[in-house]
Amino acid sequence: MFLDIFLTVSRGIALTLYVTLASLLIGGILGLLLAAGAQSRSRIIRAVVGSYINIVRVVPPITWLFLIYFGLPQFAFKLSTLEAAVVGFSVIASAFMAEIYRSGLLSIPVGQREAAWALGMNPMTTARWIITPQAFRVALPAIATYAIGLLKDSALASTIGVHEITYYAQQSAKQLHQGLISFAIAGVLYIAISLIIAVISRRTHLMLRKKIGVA
Amino acid sequence: MSFITDWLEWLPELTPGIAISLKLTGLALLFGFPLGLLLSVTAESKFASLRWSSFFAVEIGRGLPALVLLYLLYFSLPDMGVILDSMTTAVIALSWNAGAYASEYFRAGLSAVPNGQKEAAKTSGFSTWDGFRLIILPQALRISTPPLASLAVLVFQGSALAFVIAVPEIMSRAYEISSMSFQYLSVFTLTAVVYGLITWAFLGLVKLLERRLNRHMV
Amino acid sequence: MALNLGSKTSPIPISGGVHVSRLGKSYGSHKVLSDVNLKMHEGEVVSIIGPSGAGKSTFLRCLNYLEVPTEGTITIGGARVCAEEGTPDKASLEHLRKVTGMVFQSFNLFPHLTVLENITLPQRKVLGVSKERAEDTAHQLLKRVGLPDKAKAYPARLSGGQQQRIAIARALALSPSIMLFDEPTSALDPEIGLEVLAVMRDLADEGMTMLVVTHEMHFARDVSDRIMVMGDGGVLETGPSQQVMSNPTHDRTRQFLKAVLDR
Repeated sequence: MFLDIFLTVSRGIALTLYVTLASLLIGGILGLLLAAGAQSRSRIIRAVVGSYINIVRVVPPITWLFLIYFGLPQFAFKLSTLEAAVVGFSVIASAFMAEIYRSGLLSIPVGQREAAWALGMNPMTTARWIITPQAFRVALPAIATYAIGLLKDSALASTIGVHEITYYAQQSAKQLHQGLISFAIAGVLYIAISLIIAVISRRTHLMLRKKIGVA
Repeated sequence: MSFITDWLEWLPELTPGIAISLKLTGLALLFGFPLGLLLSVTAESKFASLRWSSFFAVEIGRGLPALVLLYLLYFSLPDMGVILDSMTTAVIALSWNAGAYASEYFRAGLSAVPNGQKEAAKTSGFSTWDGFRLIILPQALRISTPPLASLAVLVFQGSALAFVIAVPEIMSRAYEISSMSFQYLSVFTLTAVVYGLITWAFLGLVKLLERRLNRHMV
Repeated sequence: MALNLGSKTSPIPISGGVHVSRLGKSYGSHKVLSDVNLKMHEGEVVSIIGPSGAGKSTFLRCLNYLEVPTEGTITIGGARVCAEEGTPDKASLEHLRKVTGMVFQSFNLFPHLTVLENITLPQRKVLGVSKERAEDTAHQLLKRVGLPDKAKAYPARLSGGQQQRIAIARALALSPSIMLFDEPTSALDPEIGLEVLAVMRDLADEGMTMLVVTHEMHFARDVSDRIMVMGDGGVLETGPSQQVMSNPTHDRTRQFLKAVLDR
């Protein structure tokens, strides 16, 4: 019985991972663009970026999901549950990642920009080859922490019907009247995946620190 | 601009939901913060059983997605013979979740208080409890308050989850309204605006609080 | 004569040394530099000494526009920039940065790149040199500064003295007309500093034009041709090293030298 439930709930792992990783990736790239925008000399661009980040962060994720899944079809096109979830979490992730990058950027010693200047590098070259790579490495622990948070948020995708871990746990609980076991297993799965992310992150961090002394 | 008239029409239906969301948030904080303090103190306890209980309570409380915690309690409590209404279940789940995160902030605050303070309190004649309450805790709170305030804002956002176990808060009402009017986009945009404005107001208060706290800090 | 390692696409004109005239810098009403003048011909080595806060580093950093002067004209290796003419155009600034090489007190090596990449990246991105040529140049320079086998290492694994020597190599790779040193050994233990000073000495012997802000009085006296003493944002005196050190004309210089040499 226990094994059955475990196998059922585990069927959701694939989509849980997919939603989390896809959103992290897309959100990470978008966040990079936003962070670049936040450094822009144009006041309009900075204002737009600032507003985007502020608006995204003050609305609960579940509201965004519902807005995108139920509301978008009226306005533009219909997205599948999975697409809506990925779009929703990507948007949310992009705002948080932009803030993480911003902190990373601030921690780069000013001497780095000075050296690049003295060597004759223009701002774009400096950003591309000197600043961003370092900021990214410094930000890795924070990104890993956020990834774990995103993993837990992904459980919300079940509310719009994505067949991930929580969805299957719910089904199992309702049909077999085994609420405790179903959700306990779901909980263990989430914790296990979080631990894996945490271990990978820590290993990477230590390796980077040993090799290049950054972060 | 017909959506404005729609919004004005829907607001009265949404408002009770706002009250419930705020009540849910308030109760979760009321129980969650003291729970967090308790967990942070027992984490350093002499008794292994207390330490382990605290450890598991914290790891489960924050290791599980809040939604899963909510479902866990909602589905499992009745099976164990405990019949609670949705609101209570939601409060317990959110308090546990909030308390787990809060315990980390309290621990950080407590460990930031210099050891000398505890000794000074003891030698000044305070009982252990009074010394903690009057000397250690206020100093710890100065450090912990900003992250705790941010946590409070997150708890408010977390209250939206109570929707799935039929607590009649904002999301719940919004879903009802949208199901009847089929104006999904409009309704949920209004919902987003409502959450956004309240959260914004909260965040503004947090900033004020931080500024006041740092007023006479060096 | 400057290392003739310029690429075909941007030959470095070896012309006319350095001419700084009436350089000044103010922050609002606060003047940190006033009326600093300096003329250097090719191959000259000038040390700038003086008490802290005299504006020595600020002056040096104005020469490649790391700090923006509010008055004065700078002419280096064919690049000319005048503060009173408003914000200089990009091309002039680029030229100025190309003809000057700077070595910082805190080395400022790029930690995420290997030693080799630290030296090749600027060549490739700023001079447009090919990867192979850049690496050739890098290896030659690493040999010159005494670190031929450190190419694949990361800066974090190297000692301060080694890092600074690599920083020198990195700046030299772009064939500057003049090398600017901003207290290159101040962050190093005295013994470690000696290896860096040795490289600088070799550089001077090979004819590189050098302007060095330093507290190393021995270097100032023995290696530089002239010494410029600065105090309170202005030049107290300039003259041949031996003369300034043993027979300063200004009281303030006398005071400073006494305090420094008596230690």
